[in-house]
Amino acid sequence: MVRLEKVSKIYRTRRGNVKALDEVSLHIKENEFAVVRGPSGSGKTTLLLSIGGMLRPTEGKVIANGRDIYATSKQERAKFRAENIGFIFQLFHLVPYLNIIENVLLPVGVGKNWPGRTDARKLLERLNLSERDYHKPSELSAGEKQRTAIARALLNQPRIILADEPTGNLDPENAGQIIGYLSEFHRGGGTVIVVTHGMVADQYADRIIYLRDGQIEKSFENK
Amino acid sequence: MHRKQNFIFSLLAIVTAVALFVSFFTAGEASKRETTRLMRDIGFNLRIIPIETDMEKFWATGFSEYTMPENYVYDFASHEGLSYAHLTAMLQKKVSWRGIEVILTGIAPEVSPPGMQKPPMVFSIERGTVYIGFELVRNLGLKNGDVIDIFDKPFTIAQCLSESGSEDDIRIYAHLHDVQNIMNMENKINEIKALQCLCFVNGENINSVTLLREQLARFLPDAKVILMQSIASARENQRLMTEEYFGFIMPIVLVVCMVWIGVLAIMNVQERRQEIGIMRALGYGSGKIALLFLGKAVAIALVGAVVGFGIGTGLALKFGPDIFKVTANTIKPTIELLYWSLIASPAVCALSFFIPAMIAITQDPAITLREE
Repeated sequence: MVRLEKVSKIYRTRRGNVKALDEVSLHIKENEFAVVRGPSGSGKTTLLLSIGGMLRPTEGKVIANGRDIYATSKQERAKFRAENIGFIFQLFHLVPYLNIIENVLLPVGVGKNWPGRTDARKLLERLNLSERDYHKPSELSAGEKQRTAIARALLNQPRIILADEPTGNLDPENAGQIIGYLSEFHRGGGTVIVVTHGMVADQYADRIIYLRDGQIEKSFENK
Repeated sequence: MHRKQNFIFSLLAIVTAVALFVSFFTAGEASKRETTRLMRDIGFNLRIIPIETDMEKFWATGFSEYTMPENYVYDFASHEGLSYAHLTAMLQKKVSWRGIEVILTGIAPEVSPPGMQKPPMVFSIERGTVYIGFELVRNLGLKNGDVIDIFDKPFTIAQCLSESGSEDDIRIYAHLHDVQNIMNMENKINEIKALQCLCFVNGENINSVTLLREQLARFLPDAKVILMQSIASARENQRLMTEEYFGFIMPIVLVVCMVWIGVLAIMNVQERRQEIGIMRALGYGSGKIALLFLGKAVAIALVGAVVGFGIGTGLALKFGPDIFKVTANTIKPTIELLYWSLIASPAVCALSFFIPAMIAITQDPAITLREE
C-alpha cells in the first residue's frame, strides 16, 4: 500500500541542519494497523507527514498505489490526499469559527465523493456527537474535539488514516474511545498508521515500529 | 473574534476609500461647476477691440475711439470649432446728455455657442428701453418706467441701477441697435467682450484662453485682443489646482487603503496558518485556497462598495451644499459612481489580497501542522 525507500529528511535551520529521517525504508500493507513509537524528536511526525504527501523528503521515495507521490505535481498530491488519506492531529486543528458540522464538512468538494450533511450527521451520530453539531470547537471537550476531527477525517472515506498523537491531549477513557474508533475503521478495511506514546493502541496494532534519531530502531509484528 | 475584527477593519478600509472617492467626486463635480460660476462672475477675460485703437487713449477712456463691423461677432460665432463661451458686441461713446457727460453703451444680445445656451453674462436689454447708472438716476431724479429722450428718441427706463462705484454709474445702457441708430453708426461696434468659460468646451479645457486668442487673431484680422492676464491666469490656476488636488489626493487614499487591506490580509493569513495547513492536509489545492482569500476580498469589496457609496453620497449631500452654496442644487447622488465602486473595489481588493494569498498558498503546511 505505502512503501518508503531510503527516505531521508533534513531540516535546514539557522543553527544548522537537523536530520529528522535517516534512510528509512518501510512497507505498510493494505489494511494494516501500524503503531509508530519513539522519543520526541525521533522523526515520527515527519514520517507521517511524508507518507501523507505533505512533506517532501530530502532523499528517497514514498510510493503509494505504485507511484512515487513526490514525483507528481502539488495538485496531484492534493488529490491523492483528498481521495486516500484522512489526517488526525494531537491538537485537533479544527477551524475555530466553524461549527462542528461545518468542520466535518470541510473536505467536501476536494475528494472523489461529494458527501453531504446527511453523511456528516451519520458520522457525528456514530461518534456520539449528534447533539453537538451546531456547537463551536471552543464549546467542546478535548475528547469531543478529537472525535470531530475523526469524523472529518472519515468523511471522504479514505483508505488510510494517519494519526499523529491522537490521544496525546486526552484522558485514558477518551484515549481508549479514540483508538477504538481507529480500530473500527481498520476492521472496516482501512489502513491506520498511528503515532502515539500511549499503550492503548498496542492491543489493536498489527505492527509496532520504533523510531530513534530518524531511523527505525526496531519493527515487529504484534500478533 | 479576531476574524470578526479583521473582517470589520478590512471592510472599514474599503468603506473609507469608497466613501472618500464618492464624496469627493460627488461634491467635486459641484466644486468644478462652482469654480466655473465664480469665474464667470469675475467678468470677461477677453476684450476684442479695433486694431487701430490707441491703447493709451483706450485705457484712459475705457473704450476704443475706432469701430469695427458688427458682423465680426456673428462671423466669429458662426465659425465652427471655436472655443468661446460668451460673446457680446458693444458700442460705447461718451456723449453729453442733459448737460451731463455720460457713457452711452449699446449692448447686443449675447451670443452663445450653438447648443450651449447659457444665462446671459450682461444685461439683456429690450429695444426701446434703457438701464440708467446710479449717478444719473440720483442727479436727474429718474425712476423705473420714466420715458426719457436721448437724442430725440424716446426710451423707457427699464431699470435704475444701484451704485457700482465705477464709471458704470454714469452709463446709459441700451440695445446695441438703438445706440447705433442714435449715433448714426449702423452695424458698427467698438468692442466685443468674451468669456472663455474654462471648462466643458467640447471637452477641451487645456490652455483654452490662449487657444481662443489665437483663433480670434486668425479670423478677425482687423481686431486686437486684450487678454486680462491676471484674471485669466487666476482662473486657469484655480482650475488646475482643483484638478491637481483631486489627482493628488485620490492615489494617496487608494494606496493607503490598499496597504491597509494588504496588512490586514497578511495578518489574516498568519492567524489562519493552521487552518490553511489542515485544508492542505485535507486535499485543498493551491487554487482553492487562493480562491478562498480572493473570494473573501471580493465579498468584502462588494459590501464595502455599497456601504461606502451610501456614506460618501450622504456626506456629499449633507456637507456639499454648505461648501458649494452657488451650485448646491446640483449636488445629487451619482449612480455611475456606484457602478464604478462595484467594479473598482473588488479589483483593488483582489490586488491587495494578492500577496497574502500567495503567502497562503506557498506556506508549508507541514511546518504549521508540526507546531504545537
